[in-house]
Amino acid sequence: MLAISVMNGLVIGIIYALAALGVSLVVGIMNVINFAHGELYILAGYFSYLFASALGLNFLVAMLLALALVFLLGIAIEYTLIRPTYGNDMYSLILTFILSIVLQNAYLLIFGPYPNKPPLWVTGASDIFGLFLYGNQRIAALIAGAGVIAVVFFLIKKTWFGRIIRATSQDREMAELNGVDTTRLNMLSFGLGCALAAAAGVILTPVFPVTPTAGVPVALTAFVVVVLGGMGSMRGCVVGGLLVGLVENLGAAFISTGYKNVFGFIILIVVLLVRPSGLFGRAKI
Amino acid sequence: MKWNRRITAVAVALLLLCGSAWAQNTIKVGVVGPRTGPAAATGAAFEEGIKLAVDYVNSKGGVMGKNLEIVFEDTAGAPDKAASGFERLVTRDKVVMVLGESHSSSALAEIEVANRMKIPFIVVEAWADEVTSKNYRYVFRAGPSNSGVVNKSIAKWAAYEKFKKAFIVAENTDWGIGIGKLTENAIAKAGIASESMITERNSQDHYVELTKIKAFKPDVVLAYIYGVGLHYFVAQAGETGVSSKAVTLDGAGPPSLWPDYWKNVGDYGNLECFVSSMHEKVELTDLAKYYREAYTKAFKKAPTDYKSRSIFDGILIAADAINRAKATDAEKLVQALEKTNLKTTRGMAKFSLEKGGPEYHQWEPPMLVIQWQNKQQVVLYPPEAATGKIKR
Repeated sequence: MLAISVMNGLVIGIIYALAALGVSLVVGIMNVINFAHGELYILAGYFSYLFASALGLNFLVAMLLALALVFLLGIAIEYTLIRPTYGNDMYSLILTFILSIVLQNAYLLIFGPYPNKPPLWVTGASDIFGLFLYGNQRIAALIAGAGVIAVVFFLIKKTWFGRIIRATSQDREMAELNGVDTTRLNMLSFGLGCALAAAAGVILTPVFPVTPTAGVPVALTAFVVVVLGGMGSMRGCVVGGLLVGLVENLGAAFISTGYKNVFGFIILIVVLLVRPSGLFGRAKI
Repeated sequence: MKWNRRITAVAVALLLLCGSAWAQNTIKVGVVGPRTGPAAATGAAFEEGIKLAVDYVNSKGGVMGKNLEIVFEDTAGAPDKAASGFERLVTRDKVVMVLGESHSSSALAEIEVANRMKIPFIVVEAWADEVTSKNYRYVFRAGPSNSGVVNKSIAKWAAYEKFKKAFIVAENTDWGIGIGKLTENAIAKAGIASESMITERNSQDHYVELTKIKAFKPDVVLAYIYGVGLHYFVAQAGETGVSSKAVTLDGAGPPSLWPDYWKNVGDYGNLECFVSSMHEKVELTDLAKYYREAYTKAFKKAPTDYKSRSIFDGILIAADAINRAKATDAEKLVQALEKTNLKTTRGMAKFSLEKGGPEYHQWEPPMLVIQWQNKQQVVLYPPEAATGKIKR
């Protein structure tokens, strides 16, 4: 029981971290909370389902197309909805909340109420060290999720674009004085945040089919992870995601399965009591 | 200018007259159910059943010589929305009766409104015993109840198949917790060893639960999980090797029949069992045959989600009561409903008047236990309706 709980906690934790990274990026740079994050995750799932199942495209091509489309949609959302609200965080909060409801209803209208998913990348299950059986698609999702997180960290820590992002999140005015076009950076960052939601969506949809409202718990957990890790902290997202994943699974295994989702909130409360700014404090991207 | 004004006034007056005349030519009945939210699939099934029922009733002369009109209020599966939606149907739409619902928690909120506003309410697909065990005068149920499904179908089927060890896993809702507890008691009476657990309704991941189940080594898993959660559970039961050792029963039914069931669960869906009041080869009445043909003609597909047929029956029962009452007065409608003896797609509908328990104002339609065998539905229980034997 311990072995499978830890393994499952790591897999679910990586997924949580991936979903939370996009939220954290947007919060860190723009100070905007995107309430429609879960719906963009779902949209990518629907796109990959459509491209792979309806059009018969290779799953990898379908995933990349879905990612690109959600990235472009993110840019469009920033340009039309978020940009006019700069200077008033509450407006963007309300607008993205409304957007999430509009998208949920649009999905219901377009895709119907039934769950959908693209084909599995790999089928069957593997025997893990003779201890338990574990779904191959989940193992693939773990590897893909960890890979995307590694790419994001490389982008933020090792590239010129990442340096601009970090500089802007630390001191926007100083970055502007040094020639950074922060308006364009906001647009790209929002698009990237949406693309990260999409990455989580396309990786997870083969495991967890999507429905119009399936994004709500995803977004909720992402927000918990972001607050737990520290608003805007990328490292906090990864540690927070893994912590929530492990606590949920170990709690379900050794305390009660009925309160699985409560354990994440308990750990959040405990951490915030000790460290009010989260595990890694304010963003130092 | 004056003429223009006069013509406009006459036109408005005519429109109002036409509107009121049209309004008087219909009798409104409300339907409550989830058109949005996690169980929106039930709303889609309800919409199909409503269309067929309204066409059927109006083609037979309507209600009290007028056309039947259905007003469908979305509850989103949330008790607060359900209660306010019910109240809106009564105050805004002036419906004479309300029926529907498929979430027990929503129905439990709605029966309080029905009782307070003295509006007859026929629940069709919310199974919690408390819906009728409160013995409210205005509340009826023309559909399965937790105790009925467990005692008349699931527990008897488990004994019939000679299962030795059962694991009961139920979602943390009014329906799940209630039916899980009833199953524990019924299974114990049948001499079957059991263990049970509650699972989070919105959980996508059931690996930990399934590991616990596997350790118990059951020969049957009774899963009371509704919606897409059931698809997750069946697929993950296959991945973790649970379904290769034990038969899984979906204790709700419709999710095992949803369009993308096979796509979502893959081969792990084979040999899964589920309860249903509908099967393509088992027609209890000629009305069931009519329903299948009308459904196929209207929607160009075969009916699968039995909840569309449940709401169809509910509307027929409501229309029949209005016609016999010859009035839309709530008291007379309740009296008419209590005397219901109507042929529906699921047999003769007749409400029990036995007070004190969940039987009051309850009509329990027969349920079948069906198994997927190579994507074919094979009826396993009751034996008189069986079309094959269980495969493990």
